[in-house]
Amino acid sequence: MKNESFFDKGYKKAYLELSNGIKLEGKAIGADVSVSGEMVFNTGMLGYSEAMTDPSYWGQILVFSFCLIGNYGIPFPENGDFFSSQGHESSSIKTQGIIVSDIYSGCHHHDRGISLEDWMKKQDVPGIAGIDTRYLVQTIRESGNLWGRIVPEGAKPQNKSKFEFLKHFEDGEYVDPSKFNLMPSVSTKERQIIGRGSKKVAVIDCGAKWNIMRMLIERGCEVEVLPWDTDFSTVKCDGWVISNGPGDPKNTADLVERIKKDVLTSNKPILGICLGHQLLALASGAKTKRLSHGHRSHNQPVFSLPDKKAYMSSQNHRYAVEKNSIQAGWELWFENANDDSVEGLKHKTKPFMSVQFHPEASSGPNDTSWIMDKLVGLL
Amino acid sequence: MPILDFLSPKNGKKQKVILLGSGALSIGQAGEFDYSGSQAVKALEEEGLEVIIINPNIASVQTNKGTNKKVYLYPITPFWVEKIIKIEKPVAIISSFGGQTSLNCVIDLEKSGVLKKYNVKVLGTQVNALKLSEDRELFAEKMKSINVPIAKSHAVSTVDEALKTAEQIGYPVITRSAFALGGLGSGLAKNSVDLKRLTQAALMTSPQVLIEKSLHGWKEIEYEVMRDKTGNTITICNMENFDPMGIHTGDSIVIAPCQTINNTENNMLRDTAIKIAQNVGIVGECNVQYALNPEDYGFYVIEINARLSRSSALASKATGYPIAYIAAKIVIGFDLLELKNPVTGTTSAFYEPSLDYVTLKVPRWDLSKFTGVSKNLGTQMKSVGEVMAIGRNFCEVMQKALRMVNENENGITVNIFKDASSEDLDKELLSPTNLRVFAIYETFKRGKSIEYVYEKTKIDYWFLSHILYLAKVESELFNFFVKHSEKKDLFTAQDIYNTYKKVPKEHLHCLKSKGFSDFQLTKIFLLACLSGQTKLSIKQIRTLSFGIRKLRKKLGVLPVVKQIDTTSSEYPTKSNYLYLTYDGIHSDVSPKKNTKSVITLGSGSYRIGSSLEFDWCSVMTSSYFKNKKNDSVIINCNPETVSTDYSASDRLYFEELSSERVLDIIDIEDPKGVVACMGGQNPNNLIQPLSEAKVNILGHSQKSVDGAEDREKFSAMLDKLGIDQPEWISAVSRDEIEKFIEKVGFPVLIRPSFVLSGTLMNVANDKESLEHYLSLTKDISADFPVVISKFILDAKEIECDGVAKGGEVILSLVTEHIENAGVHSGDATMVFPSQKIYTRTVNIIKDIVRKIVKDLNLNGPFNIQFIAKENDVKVIECNARASRSFPFISKVSGVNLAELSCKVMNNERVKKILIDESEIPYVGVKASMFSFQRLDGADPVIGVEMASTGEVGCLGDKFDHAMLLSMEATQIRKPKKGVLISAGREKDKIKFMEVIDNLYKLGVPVYATRGTAKFLEDRGYKVETVHWNRNPRAVDIIIEGKVDFVININKNLSVDELHNNSEIRKMAVKCGCSLLTNLEKTMAYLRAYDSYDELQSIDHCISL
Repeated sequence: MKNESFFDKGYKKAYLELSNGIKLEGKAIGADVSVSGEMVFNTGMLGYSEAMTDPSYWGQILVFSFCLIGNYGIPFPENGDFFSSQGHESSSIKTQGIIVSDIYSGCHHHDRGISLEDWMKKQDVPGIAGIDTRYLVQTIRESGNLWGRIVPEGAKPQNKSKFEFLKHFEDGEYVDPSKFNLMPSVSTKERQIIGRGSKKVAVIDCGAKWNIMRMLIERGCEVEVLPWDTDFSTVKCDGWVISNGPGDPKNTADLVERIKKDVLTSNKPILGICLGHQLLALASGAKTKRLSHGHRSHNQPVFSLPDKKAYMSSQNHRYAVEKNSIQAGWELWFENANDDSVEGLKHKTKPFMSVQFHPEASSGPNDTSWIMDKLVGLL
Repeated sequence: MPILDFLSPKNGKKQKVILLGSGALSIGQAGEFDYSGSQAVKALEEEGLEVIIINPNIASVQTNKGTNKKVYLYPITPFWVEKIIKIEKPVAIISSFGGQTSLNCVIDLEKSGVLKKYNVKVLGTQVNALKLSEDRELFAEKMKSINVPIAKSHAVSTVDEALKTAEQIGYPVITRSAFALGGLGSGLAKNSVDLKRLTQAALMTSPQVLIEKSLHGWKEIEYEVMRDKTGNTITICNMENFDPMGIHTGDSIVIAPCQTINNTENNMLRDTAIKIAQNVGIVGECNVQYALNPEDYGFYVIEINARLSRSSALASKATGYPIAYIAAKIVIGFDLLELKNPVTGTTSAFYEPSLDYVTLKVPRWDLSKFTGVSKNLGTQMKSVGEVMAIGRNFCEVMQKALRMVNENENGITVNIFKDASSEDLDKELLSPTNLRVFAIYETFKRGKSIEYVYEKTKIDYWFLSHILYLAKVESELFNFFVKHSEKKDLFTAQDIYNTYKKVPKEHLHCLKSKGFSDFQLTKIFLLACLSGQTKLSIKQIRTLSFGIRKLRKKLGVLPVVKQIDTTSSEYPTKSNYLYLTYDGIHSDVSPKKNTKSVITLGSGSYRIGSSLEFDWCSVMTSSYFKNKKNDSVIINCNPETVSTDYSASDRLYFEELSSERVLDIIDIEDPKGVVACMGGQNPNNLIQPLSEAKVNILGHSQKSVDGAEDREKFSAMLDKLGIDQPEWISAVSRDEIEKFIEKVGFPVLIRPSFVLSGTLMNVANDKESLEHYLSLTKDISADFPVVISKFILDAKEIECDGVAKGGEVILSLVTEHIENAGVHSGDATMVFPSQKIYTRTVNIIKDIVRKIVKDLNLNGPFNIQFIAKENDVKVIECNARASRSFPFISKVSGVNLAELSCKVMNNERVKKILIDESEIPYVGVKASMFSFQRLDGADPVIGVEMASTGEVGCLGDKFDHAMLLSMEATQIRKPKKGVLISAGREKDKIKFMEVIDNLYKLGVPVYATRGTAKFLEDRGYKVETVHWNRNPRAVDIIIEGKVDFVININKNLSVDELHNNSEIRKMAVKCGCSLLTNLEKTMAYLRAYDSYDELQSIDHCISL
């Protein structure tokens, strides 16, 4: 906004083309490329950098319903790693693109970094500003399934080598990532050990957010990050985390089978988070379903059973576990106070548990960080 | 388990619960408590409780009669609350909906064992926890024990201790006094001299003062927290001050949600807020205020309020989440998980709202109403009201809010600092007054950088960059017109249309979405292209701006309607809480054109002269039309009000009360009619432009309103009807003034149309004071005339409020002022039914009323003011609208004047109502509340310019009872230590002797200034003489605490006399003494001491 001149007509237009035929015009921001993806919205008012680097948004065009995005810039993008204190949940932007109403192009926060727009340009990610995001959220909410394209005027198509699964698509086609197994695209390629501690936690990386690792390390654990296709029977650890990630839990090749065979039978403590929760549920024999528009916000109310202790949770998911499919030996642990959907499962006798929400938050409230304490306590 | 067991009905009988209000509005404790109290009443009634309201604030909605409700208009003191407990035998009492007043009262009742004695339980947060949030030392200990950082601080009880502590902490330090509202007795001390002055003052009203490290320049951030008895806790909203630490939150521009903090900072502060609520044991609502270091993640907790507050009202309006309503359910036993979010109706109340818009609160100051007050802002709150703007970008809300708050269509582009030197601008940036934001704008217009302004103000870059943007847009637009348009002497609306047609449509849309009004755009063009000599009035510019409106409609550059729904559209809602924005392409609602709506225009920001009473009228109007199955629509922008509770109407537009915005809404609503006469002068001023735009105004016609408001026309009508009026002139030269005064003599009332400093209206007693007051105005000219009228001494002031239909009086009721003419009717003490007016005078008045109503052809509510000397009655003014006495008279007489007005406006058949005022079983006294204690430097004298910030109305079996109660409720308390008297003129002293014995009967020492002392001694009374300038000095007696009651009556209104006495008055207020400055009011009060014991021992209390 600083150097913007009012009568400067220099800004470039961009269009958001939706699979239901609606076309919206706005101002091109970020990189000069056109992209395609699943349309999703997040109603969190802060935490745009955490959201954009969250691998669960992989293949999606993220609409921020809040009207002012970019206010505090982006902290230290180059120095990001597992230990970087905040702002980044992976090493790069994972959303295909973003849609905002008003974008701020400065960066004055004491964390000192770069502006949101410069960051997007550097990472080759486009976006559109000046969109009526409230209207767009309503459109997405009402449509159930909606795909979209960000098309800046005269822009070239996205480099398809950016993500493995993009090779399946023609330019200008609407992309539905959930049709594919996204694990090869998001998971780490190599086993990696970080942190030092007397207990070791194996994190099955389905697109894990860095804060999961940060919190385990903070709690004195050694963490081994595993590629999704690791032979789990070869892993030596005191407990497991099955991480969050994008896509349909059923579209993960043999992952569920291998969890069932090698992880459940280890009888070590397990914590499933988000996609990991769905994978664990599938491995237990329960079923998952696609929700009409999912939960993507910082204010999902959940409560534990039977004590009815309630927490504000951060969520980002499209699929959920079907309540009536919960298997014998397992019990409902958390429920959503708005729509009664399943928010967590617990094994009645074994140290297995999983949550649909994000105890690692980032972004969003830290109300359920105690679940990480609980896991570490069980090791 | 929903409701606590002891609250559920026993043997089919409802249980009673006392809900304490907050009393009269004052700075720091205003209308927000009517809003929270009214929501609480609704929540409690729904659960089958009978609510006992104790609150002397008669103009509030919560003190309306109800079926499951009893209302006691009594002072909120342990004495009266105990009496009512004895009568009503409630099972419980609720303290958290009536601000600091009710909280302190409940703490006292608990301490004295009264609650235990009558087995009354405190609902919600328990007294131990309340004390924790009030006693700063206890609070500091508690925070330390849970590892929450608080600013280094020390409680001290002497000045010496304070100085020692400050040496340890290091200057600058902040002082705060315990048990105080709105930061009373607080301040910033840069050195020991400052500190000595501040602590001396603070220790006079509070036993404890806290010395803290100054966090000047840190971000100030607040969280609203709700916790239920099971411990489930949410934060509903966070808010960030535009003005960093150093300015009281009540005086700060506030944005919600926070805009310059990141996710980590937000959750760090949120986690801490929840931890505090858990550990303090909050059940219900509380807020937590923080100072956040702008340079790292360091923070301190500043304070918590374990009750509903101004911030919680703002947070409710900012988010749509009805905090007070839910808090009330929680204090009677519900858990958050058991309750639904009332906005969605389907989702859980255990929920933190998500916003897809921003809101900006801007305070309203009326500092020009007070003589001598310092305009600098600091840690002591001075504002009297506020507005909130809703929009989708910061520029939009800033522009909207600045137009809303002063009803000035110029908003941020007002140019008040146009001629200021850069030194003056810098000074304004460094030591802010209420005008700082305009100075920032001007600084940017002069090309200064963000860095430059940041260094001086420490306001975050993010905020400043937007103001810079607006300044740049204005300059560029101005230059565009200079380059592309011709200069002319005269422009038409069509010229404006053609001019803006040259601006590309997307740029016009952008200008609108950044909040520029048509008026502002017109004015920027005129500044560029109107030849130097031409001056246009606001009305003329507004007419020209219709050119832009026409162009916008043609181009389709129109605002859209958005809902406030708490979920950012995640769930579909039917929310009726709406705002307009240009930053969007789609409207959430489009009202059905076949259900014709009625729009009620609210009163806007509370301010001196327009307060709760007009919100009461607006709420009554809205609910009348709601009950009549119309679509009842409210437009208002004041977050402290009941009218902006979305349940008060069928549709609420939280919007500007400007002609442009109201017409936008009319275009959307296509209403059956618009009610503009119930919200005070602010909406009344819109009648003219709305009528010109062919809007159907309900009630009085524009011609009637004009006939009443136009001084010349009204005066001519009175002459025609043979009705007497004080002589007056609208003078355009000195010569005219002198001639006029030669004719009528002193004293005269002066009303300039513009003042450079000081107050607008004054009484000149002699040539010298005339010169003085005229020197404060601009040069007198045809553009700036001065209205001068004969001021009549020793006359009674009488008002007649009523309702007319088609030029016939339906109802008229006469109220009497206790003070003689010369006290603004908004400050006067009023009695109804009148006690001391001759029947003959009443008859004359009613006859005049009939004539005026007939001639103006009034059709709705009205108020006519008179002065009477013997049976000589003169008319002062006529308001063709509801007046501020409407709730008072309605509640005392039992006839709802607001509802009656609505019937007339709705063309219902109404019969003439004749009330035999002698049949009314009690007497009501309405008294004004002043907030001088917060207005450093202001002379606490009452006069022709209104200065009160609130009022009470109490009922008694007889006048004396009502008088005593209303005085107690406005902080006039029976002297315990001593009395200081200056009794004014010789004839005042003689009169004063009539009641002097009542004073001496109290047995406390009496001090008097020389003249009065001699007068008393001559008549054999024991008195100690004090002096202005030598020992024993009058002010010292006050400082030393030898007196707690000061009677100070001016001899006349000359500048010298006012100056001498003002030192005494200011000190009296500073030291918390009861202060009376009017002879008639003092006499009525002292005379009522005859019934003091009788009232105290009475075993019944009057309820509505």
